Amino acid sequence: MDASRGSDGPLPPLWHYGETEHDPISTKTLGFWLYMLSDALIFAGLFAAYGVLDQTMNAAGGPTAAQIMHPVAAFWQTIAVLSSVLSYSLATVALKTGNRNGVLLGIVVAILFGGIFIALEFTDFASLFAIGATPDRSGFLSAFFILVATHGLHMMFGILWMLVLILQILRSGFNTAVVTRLLNLRLFWQFQASVWVCVYVFVYLRGTFQ
Amino acid sequence: MLVQLQGPWSWIFGRLTLDSIPYNNPIIIFAFAFSVIAGLAAVAPVIYYRKIGYIFREWICSVDHKKIGVMYIILGLVMMFRGFVDGMMIRTQQVTADGPNSPGFLEAQHGYLPPSHFDQIYSSHGTLMILFAVTPILTGLGNIVVPLQIGARDMAFPRMNAISLWLTVMGAMLVMASLFIGDFSAAGWVGLTPLTELPYSPSVGVDYWMWAIQISSVGTTLNAINIITTIIGMRAPGMRWDRLPIFTWTTLSTSIIGLTAFPILGVALALLGADRYLGTHFYTAGLGGNLMLYTDLFWIWGHPEVYFLVLPAFGVLSEVIPTFSEKPLFGYITMVAATFAIAGISWTVWLHHFFTMGAGPMVNTFFSVATMLVGIPTGVKVFNWMLTMYRGRITYTTPMLWSVGALFLLLVGGLTGVMLANPAINYTVHNSVFVIAHFHCMVLLIAYTIFAAIIYWFPKVFGFKLDEYNGKGFFWTFSLGTMTVFTAMFALGFEGETRRLDYLYDPQWLPMLIIEELGIGLYCLSVYYFFRMLYVSIRDRAKNACGPDPWGTARTLEWLTHSPVPFYNFAVTPEVHELDELAWRRERHCEAVRPERFDPIHMPRNTMIPIIIGIFAFGFGFGMVWRIWWMAGGSLFLIIAAVIISSFTPDPGYTITAAEMAELEKQHAQHGIVAESGSPLPMAEERLV
Amino acid sequence: MTDPHHPEPDPLAHAEVRQAGWIGYVSGYILTVGLLGVALLLTETKGLDAQALLITLSGLSIFLLIAQSMLFFGLDVTRYNIWKSVSLVLTVPLFILSIGLTVWMFHSLNGLMMMPEMPGMPMQPTLLQ
Repeated sequence: MDASRGSDGPLPPLWHYGETEHDPISTKTLGFWLYMLSDALIFAGLFAAYGVLDQTMNAAGGPTAAQIMHPVAAFWQTIAVLSSVLSYSLATVALKTGNRNGVLLGIVVAILFGGIFIALEFTDFASLFAIGATPDRSGFLSAFFILVATHGLHMMFGILWMLVLILQILRSGFNTAVVTRLLNLRLFWQFQASVWVCVYVFVYLRGTFQ
Repeated sequence: MLVQLQGPWSWIFGRLTLDSIPYNNPIIIFAFAFSVIAGLAAVAPVIYYRKIGYIFREWICSVDHKKIGVMYIILGLVMMFRGFVDGMMIRTQQVTADGPNSPGFLEAQHGYLPPSHFDQIYSSHGTLMILFAVTPILTGLGNIVVPLQIGARDMAFPRMNAISLWLTVMGAMLVMASLFIGDFSAAGWVGLTPLTELPYSPSVGVDYWMWAIQISSVGTTLNAINIITTIIGMRAPGMRWDRLPIFTWTTLSTSIIGLTAFPILGVALALLGADRYLGTHFYTAGLGGNLMLYTDLFWIWGHPEVYFLVLPAFGVLSEVIPTFSEKPLFGYITMVAATFAIAGISWTVWLHHFFTMGAGPMVNTFFSVATMLVGIPTGVKVFNWMLTMYRGRITYTTPMLWSVGALFLLLVGGLTGVMLANPAINYTVHNSVFVIAHFHCMVLLIAYTIFAAIIYWFPKVFGFKLDEYNGKGFFWTFSLGTMTVFTAMFALGFEGETRRLDYLYDPQWLPMLIIEELGIGLYCLSVYYFFRMLYVSIRDRAKNACGPDPWGTARTLEWLTHSPVPFYNFAVTPEVHELDELAWRRERHCEAVRPERFDPIHMPRNTMIPIIIGIFAFGFGFGMVWRIWWMAGGSLFLIIAAVIISSFTPDPGYTITAAEMAELEKQHAQHGIVAESGSPLPMAEERLV
Repeated sequence: MTDPHHPEPDPLAHAEVRQAGWIGYVSGYILTVGLLGVALLLTETKGLDAQALLITLSGLSIFLLIAQSMLFFGLDVTRYNIWKSVSLVLTVPLFILSIGLTVWMFHSLNGLMMMPEMPGMPMQPTLLQ
C-alpha cells in the first residue's frame, strides 16, 4: 500500500496508474492465520466444556481422570508431535535455499513422527476402551475423548495435507502456490504443537493431580 | 448407530421412508404447492428467454463479489418472506386459540395448529429470520459495498467468497427440505437441552436444524476471513485507516465477531451432535451430562451474534444519514471507537440470557454491569447520528425514512434492553413476551436498516433507482404494523404472557392479540407495497436510470464507479486523499474526471468448484440428517477431494488489455451487471473444472 | 494467479520464507519438550500441593505458548507479521473470557444448585429410558 502522495500542484493525482503492488503470499498466509484463530476458538470451546465436565459428578460413577490419564505415556506423544513440528519447520528452512530434497526429507520425517503420534493415541484409546472407559460412559469421558480426538483429527488432516504437498512439490517445484501452501502448513502444524501443550498440561497432567 | 433410534433404519435410505413425507397435512401441502408455483414463476422466465446457460456461467459460477452479494440478498429476502409467513402463522394461531376452551380446527385441539407443528413454526421462524434472512442480507451488503468503498477490485479470496455463498444457500435449502421431507426442530431456534437430545426429540427435526446451522456457519466464518483480509490488505493507495469509510469499519468489527464467535457455536452444536449420533453425555439428563453447558456455550456465541447483526446495521445508518443530511458524519473517531467497544464488550455479557439459571448474585451482577456498559458506546452512536442530522439539510428519501425509523426502534429496544439487563427485572419478565418484544425491536431495526441499505445501494448495483412512492408506502405500512404488533406485545409482556404458547391460557389477552393480528395485516399490506415497488421500478427502469451518484449527496468512494458497477469495479485504481473521498472530489469539482489512460488488469475466472462443493455440502447435511451414512461419508469425501483436486489446477485468471478496457469504459452505460460477460467459463477442453 | 504480462516475483525471496531459522525452531523444541518434562516431573513426584501445582503449570504453559509464538510462528511487529500479532493479541482475551467466565460461572452455579455428596448417598449413574 503506497502512502498518500503529497502534492503542491492544483490537484494531486486522482488515479493510481501502473501495477498495484500485489503480494499474494502475504494475503493468503494472513487469511490462513485468521482461520487458525477461529480454529483456536474451537479448542477454547472444547476446553470450556472440559472444564465444566471435569467434576466428580460428571464421571457418573465411572472411570475418573486419575484412572484414565497416563501422563508418562502421553509424554511420548509430546515428543512425537514436537519432533514432527521440528522436522517440518526444518523443512521450511531447507526451502530458503530451494533445496528440494531437504524439504521433502523434512516433510517425510514429519509424517513419520505424526504417524507415531496418531498410533500412540490410538493405542491409548484402545486400552481405555478395553477397560470400559468409552465416550458414552459419562459426560467427563465424552469431554475428554472429544477434546483429545479433535486434536488428533487435526493431526490427521495435516498429514494428508503433507502427502498432497509432496505430490505437488514433485510435480510443480517451488512455485508461488506451493510455497504459499508450505507456509500455511507450517502455521497449521506449529499450531498443533501449541494446542498439544494445553492438552498435555490441562488434561493429562491436571487430570492426574486434581 | 451407537444410539437408540426410534423408527426404521436401512442402509440405503437411513431413516428416510415414505412416511417421512407429510402428505396428509393440508397446511404443508398448501406450502408445498405455493413453493412449487413460486419456484416455477422464478424459473419460467429464465427458460423462456433461454438464459439458463447465462445464469449458470455468469451467476452460479460467479466469483464476482457484487453478484455474490446480490445472490446473498436474494436468498435472504426469500427466506425473510418465509420467516414472515411463519410469524403470521404464529400470530394467527395465538389469536384463534385464545383460552383453554377455544375451539380447534384441522387437527388441533385449539386454534388450527397442533402443538408439535406450532413448535416447529416458531423454531423455523427464529432460525430462518436470524441465520438465513438477516445474516445473508448483511453479508451480501458487505460483499457488494466493502471492496468498492476501499477501492479494491474484488475480495481477497474470490473463490472462497463463492463457496461461502453456496454453503449458506445449502444450509437454507436444508431448512426448506425439512418442510417437505421429515420435520423441523420443535425446540426453538436456541435448541435448549435436554429437549434437543435424542430421547426427547427422536425425529430428524433437530438434526435438520443442527446441520443447516453448522453448514452455513462454515460459510460465515470463511466470509469473515475474507473480509478481514480484504480490508487489511487490499485498500487503494491513500486509503489509510483514518480514511476508511465507516461502513467498512463496522464490517471489519462484525467480521472479527464472525471469526471468533461462530466457532463456539460450532462446538456447542457439535457436542449436541455427538450426543445425538455417538451417544456421548455432554448435555444429557443423566450419566454425568450437564445440560446447562449447552446454554452456556450457545450464548457465548449467541450474544456476539446479535452484535454481528446489529453492527453492520449501525454502519448502514452511518452511511445513509450523512448522505441525506448533506453533512459529514459527526464524530468519526468516536464512532469507530464505539464500534469496537461494542464488539469487545459483547464478549463479556452472554449470561444475561440466562440470569435465572442460578449462577448466583455475584456472577449475575458482573454480567449485568457489563451488559449495561454496552449501552454507553451505543448511546455515543445515537448521539452522533442525531448530531449529524442537526443543522443538516435533510431530505426524507425512502432510505432516510427507514434510517430515522431505525433510530426510534433502537431507542425503544435499547431502553427495554437495559431494563432486561437488571437481574431483578429479568427474573420477573424472563421467558415472557416482553423479551420477545424487546428483541424484535432490535432485529426490526436491523430490518429497517436493511431496507434502507437495499434502496440506497440498489441504483449503484443495478443502474436505476427504486420507485419512491411505493417505497414510502412500504415503509409506512411496515412501520404501522411494527408499532401495532409490538406495543401490544409489550403490554402483554407486562400482563405476564409467556413465550411460545400454542394456546393462551388467559382469554383476557384476546383484545391485545387481535390488535397484534391487525398489525400482521398491516405487514401483509407492506409486502404488497414491496412487490409493487419492485415491479414498478423494473418496469420504469429506463426512466429511472442514473449515473454514478444517483442521490447527489453521497460521500464515499463507491459512488465514484459507474452505475451499474462494471465487473472490474474501477477501471484504474483511485488515489484516496481524504475521508469521504467523493465529497472531497466534489468540493474540488473533479468528481467526474475519468482516467486518461488504462492499464491491463487481471481478473479471476468464474468456476464451477464453489457450486459443486455446495451441492456436496447439501448431500453431506441431508445424509447426516437421515443417517444415510454412504451419502454423508461420500459427500464429505467428495468435498475434500474437490478441494484437493482443484488445488492441483490453480486458476491463472485472465487479463483485460488496455484497449479492451478503453472499449469497456466507453460502453459502460449500455451494459449492466446482468449483461456483461467478462469471464467465460473454461469448457471441458481446457480443464476439468 | 499468474499474469503473463508481469512475471511473478521469486516466492523463495518472500519474507515469510526467509524468516525460517533452525536456531529458533530447535530452541522452541528443546524448550517445549524440556519444560513439559519438568511439568511431568513436578506432577509425578507430587512435590507441590494441588493449588500451587496448578498455578505453576498454568504459568509454565503460558510461558511456553508465548515462547512458541515467537520462536515457531515468528510473530513480531514487522510489516509481514504485524497483523498476525495484532489479531492474536486481540483474540487471547476471548480465550480468557470464554473459558474463565464459564468456569467461574459453573463453580458458582454448582455450589448453589448441585447437591453435595453425602456419606450414605453415593452418586450413582442414572439412565434415561
